Amino acid sequence: MAPATTRCSTPVPAKAGIGLRFQHHQNLIDFRPDVAWFEVHTENYMGGGAPLRYLDAIRRDFPVSLHGVGLSLGSAEGLDQAHLERVRQVAERVEPGLISEHIAWSVVGGNYLADLLPLPMTEEALAIVCRHIDQTQTYLKRLILVENPSTYFTFAHSTIPEWEFMTAVAARTGCGILCDVNNIFVSACNHGWDVSAYLDGLPSRSIGEIHLAGHTVRLLADGTTVRVDDHGSRVIDDVWTLYQEALMRFGVVPTLIEWDSDVPPLEVLLGESDHAATIMAKMNSDTKDAEAA
Amino acid sequence: MPRLLEIQRAVNCCLMERDQEAVAPLLPDRSAIKRLDIYHNTIFSGLTKALCLTYPAVQRLVGVDFFEAAAQLFIVRHPPRAAYLNCYGGEFPDFLRDLPAAAVVAYLADVARLEWAVHCAIHAPDIKPLELAALAAVKLVDQGRVSLSAHPSVHLLRVDYPVDVIWRAVLADDEQTLRAVDPSSGPVHLVVGRRSTAVEVARLEEMAWHFLAELHAGRTIRSAIDSCPDPEAAATLAEHLALGWFVAFKLAAWQTPPPKQDFVA
Repeated sequence: MAPATTRCSTPVPAKAGIGLRFQHHQNLIDFRPDVAWFEVHTENYMGGGAPLRYLDAIRRDFPVSLHGVGLSLGSAEGLDQAHLERVRQVAERVEPGLISEHIAWSVVGGNYLADLLPLPMTEEALAIVCRHIDQTQTYLKRLILVENPSTYFTFAHSTIPEWEFMTAVAARTGCGILCDVNNIFVSACNHGWDVSAYLDGLPSRSIGEIHLAGHTVRLLADGTTVRVDDHGSRVIDDVWTLYQEALMRFGVVPTLIEWDSDVPPLEVLLGESDHAATIMAKMNSDTKDAEAA
Repeated sequence: MPRLLEIQRAVNCCLMERDQEAVAPLLPDRSAIKRLDIYHNTIFSGLTKALCLTYPAVQRLVGVDFFEAAAQLFIVRHPPRAAYLNCYGGEFPDFLRDLPAAAVVAYLADVARLEWAVHCAIHAPDIKPLELAALAAVKLVDQGRVSLSAHPSVHLLRVDYPVDVIWRAVLADDEQTLRAVDPSSGPVHLVVGRRSTAVEVARLEEMAWHFLAELHAGRTIRSAIDSCPDPEAAATLAEHLALGWFVAFKLAAWQTPPPKQDFVA
């Protein structure tokens, strides 16, 4: 069905937004809370019926970003053209301010492993990811953002630090970077990286969006611990601190609170996005003070 | 250095078949294998949840533990072939039919078939119903060769058990109705489809169902009526057109030369 009205893409503002979840659809339409923008999982809106009706209604009043989890940019066997076409169709209907995907893979032998799996950080993987981003951007006729992953193990033969991999992807394809601050924290803890060195290694001008989320610490059977990015709780203090560091380096960019599992009442999400908004406002006023001085 | 495709196949073996032999040399230490388990668990719990959302009545009929065990087996045998998970799980009814442990609930696979049809109806693409004015404008002489395209949300189902009643009763926790159902009452003929955003499941008379099945198979209205001489065919067709469950029509090529028309000056 064609969109009810002709619309043009509304840019996602440099403010705090939240992820749109089915549980909150009706509540949002009834109460229209003060949210700067919404991000939706592209794959949730690939069919018709009720979800798209809600998204159409929300899209009329709020800027929207499309965040995909299924394109598998890092698959050695190539992109699934049918999935890329489904992404294009959702984008045509929603006309999002931003489209993003992940530096990860999930398809091999035509099977979809329903998670975002880590890539070896090698020249071969870099070339494959860049080729697939080029293909995606050409097909969608626009630039996309790609998100740094959260990873729980690394490959023995990785040769490129992840931040250099991200930087090279942006430089070679012109895409932007969706800097997931929680993912940086999780991966840095899991692999013993220096979070500040990671942020310093990213190209400031390429950062188009920031993600914030909660994660958990799990104890494994061998006695080691691992941080798991499960998007099921509040952002922890260390990640808020790292977020401030990120804003100091990149300036104020659109920031999203992600919460996909054990989804809480809308008010909890709005509380988290208010907190991000407060940090952004402080950063804006500090910048003005510095310019005035 | 191992190639990316080789690495991805090794990770797949570890995650889906629990075979660590190929992946172990690619990892820095033994702990990394334990960490791969996190991905295994995320994949299997995510897909089990997807199956659970699609097959809620099946889950209630067999219980959570049985359902999860069946889902684990199913996922290994039928991993998703696309990242669009709303199209995942269509083989589950046949899988249940062939699963010996599921035979204790005779109608389980048929309930699953109904739930898959409902799931497909919920997520089918939005397509505008056929405009009746366009159909009405077909010349009398051409009416016999009209064939129709069904809305993608509409599915016709013939099942051996009264699963429409069972399905509603299970989802409504209606023990009384469930006890009163006679599973041996014979096959039922169902139509599942979406109107706006609500999915409807309705029972059809056998003749009407066969007539609609002919239309869904792309036969012309004429040939559908010829093969199912149902006196109610016209009423059935009118009802389904009014429900918006046909989206387009076309005129089949003439099988024989068109009848000569007499023009009266």
